[in-house]
Amino acid sequence: MNRIILDVDSAGDDILAILFALGRPDLKLEGVTSVTGAAGDIEQVTNVVLNTLSLAGRDDVPVAKGAYRPIVGNSKQDMEAPVHFEKRLQQRFGDRLKGFNPPAPTPSRQAMDGHAVDFIVDTVRASPGEISVVATGPQTNVAMALRYAPDLAEKVRQIIVLGGCFQTPGNITPVSEYNIWADPEAARVVLRSGAPVILVPLDVCEDNRVATSMLTRDDLNDLAQLYPGGKVAAYVRQTFPIYIDIWREFFGLVGFPLDDAIAIAAVTHPRFFEMSEPLFVDVALHERLVRGQTVAFRGNQILSFEGPATTRVCHGLDGAAFLKLFKGAIGALD
Amino acid sequence: MSATPVLIDCDPGHDDAIALVMAHRSPDIDLLGVTTVCGNATLDRTTTNARRIMEFIGATDTPIAEGCREPLARPLVLGTADGPSGLDGTPDLPEASMALDERHAVDFIADTLASASEPITLVPTGPLTNIALFLLKYPHLKDRIGRIVLMGGAFYRRSEYITPTEFNIFCDPEAANIVVNSGVDVTMVGLDVTMHVLVEEPQFAELGKIDTPLGKVVLDWLAFYEKLHRGIMGVGGALHDPLALAVVIDPSLIETRPAHIAIDLTGSHMFGATVADFWNERGEGTNVTIATSVDSDRFFDLLYGLLRDERGV
Repeated sequence: MNRIILDVDSAGDDILAILFALGRPDLKLEGVTSVTGAAGDIEQVTNVVLNTLSLAGRDDVPVAKGAYRPIVGNSKQDMEAPVHFEKRLQQRFGDRLKGFNPPAPTPSRQAMDGHAVDFIVDTVRASPGEISVVATGPQTNVAMALRYAPDLAEKVRQIIVLGGCFQTPGNITPVSEYNIWADPEAARVVLRSGAPVILVPLDVCEDNRVATSMLTRDDLNDLAQLYPGGKVAAYVRQTFPIYIDIWREFFGLVGFPLDDAIAIAAVTHPRFFEMSEPLFVDVALHERLVRGQTVAFRGNQILSFEGPATTRVCHGLDGAAFLKLFKGAIGALD
Repeated sequence: MSATPVLIDCDPGHDDAIALVMAHRSPDIDLLGVTTVCGNATLDRTTTNARRIMEFIGATDTPIAEGCREPLARPLVLGTADGPSGLDGTPDLPEASMALDERHAVDFIADTLASASEPITLVPTGPLTNIALFLLKYPHLKDRIGRIVLMGGAFYRRSEYITPTEFNIFCDPEAANIVVNSGVDVTMVGLDVTMHVLVEEPQFAELGKIDTPLGKVVLDWLAFYEKLHRGIMGVGGALHDPLALAVVIDPSLIETRPAHIAIDLTGSHMFGATVADFWNERGEGTNVTIATSVDSDRFFDLLYGLLRDERGV
């Protein structure tokens, strides 16, 4: 059994990742931790997690609230850029946009006492070598946990990081992916920690070369046909058309990319992926232009840089196999 | 006036050691606990040193909690001012035997603040890793901090003895960035003032008159510390951390002014530098109070007085 802690920032694909995890019989979701990121402040992120678990009837899954800010972050102006982006979307989609990252209603329960860092540390220490941490938002919680409890690096089974980009351009700057950019110092802590890391970059999620992995209206129709009675499938059909349209129009992708669910598949179905040997991967911290860029040392260059070769970088994905798995998992939920 | 409740977060270090001695012996300080961090030496060594010091001065009722092994976001670069052990040149100190608090420093700080009946003063004398991680993990307890009086930074750099960057900030600039922008009342006792509290011949002469086991150990510490400083810079040992602690006992030892400071997190030659904006050119108001000058003679009088005091060893 694959035992995972899911650390999310509650954007659309994080929600689908939580549901995907719940729908997989080969995976035990030990808990979900929240981190400030794409969906806004930590209260919103945490509430979305609680509501998503509630939707699937899984109020038994522990939820721990995490970091309220990144270690350093970026300028206020840059951090608020997604808000201005939403204004552009508003002009294009009007009222339909109300279904995109809506403010979370008050959940029926609260997150547990104690910080996400404590939940991660306690859970991993209780089962050394067993727990995979799948981090699909900025790496703040994981980095804090590694600094707070350095033994985590040896006791965690692996850390899956959804983030970075190599051949594929970034989504926040031409060279940077949002999760890494939002807390590059934290990502660097994780990549240098010595823990085994699988890096799932945009190259295998947000690139039309892996178009078969993306959610389209055809897939929503499939869900309707195959799982007509399911409440969760109905929620996905109702909620995600606007996401599909936004990613088609503004990011040029053929559908809504399921980044965070793909990160979970890296635990349960590594055979769907092409991955590098373990490499040293570093993150640029400098300035605005390259901040958050991921740099992998594959050994083909003249200068060498020192760091632990512990990160396997994904560069290929069997998108169709993943998407079939994804739809099956959503359909398996009531 | 009642004693100020204080938590010291340190990386002893000879000058940290003297700050601990002063805090333990001052009737104006209620030392609630000591937390340790990497910096002047590795965490194992700074923790061991803190235990040896506290045992030697009879402060075994004061809990010690161990903190972070590495800076928040970077590999550890060790300090060089205290020798490899962090407390070289002290043969008379006992081996450590007192128990450590079981909690991580960050949780110990949180528990202490949560259960306190009045605001607590934090005195960080090492890199700010523990304090920053505390602020990240327990944002709701921030208001329980009365103020932070820290040893760190350099702003005016009025002499060649004041380096462009100060070690505590340089060692963990990301942590310092969190602390100075936390909204907590922060006073920075930096090199601009600490490089004026130097142990030279007159100070050695006065300290030499304190004929107690403690006086002798302090003299040993300073003899080693002074030699290292003089070898590198050609001046006596600067009592950086004791001055930060002394400012809590007697705020009138320093003059201050408010400023907005930024920390260089990406520079090369100025990496880790603290850069003050005194004229609000950044338009961000002020985030810290900077120590601008110090009455060195009165600082030393305070130190001698506390060491001469008959209580304890």
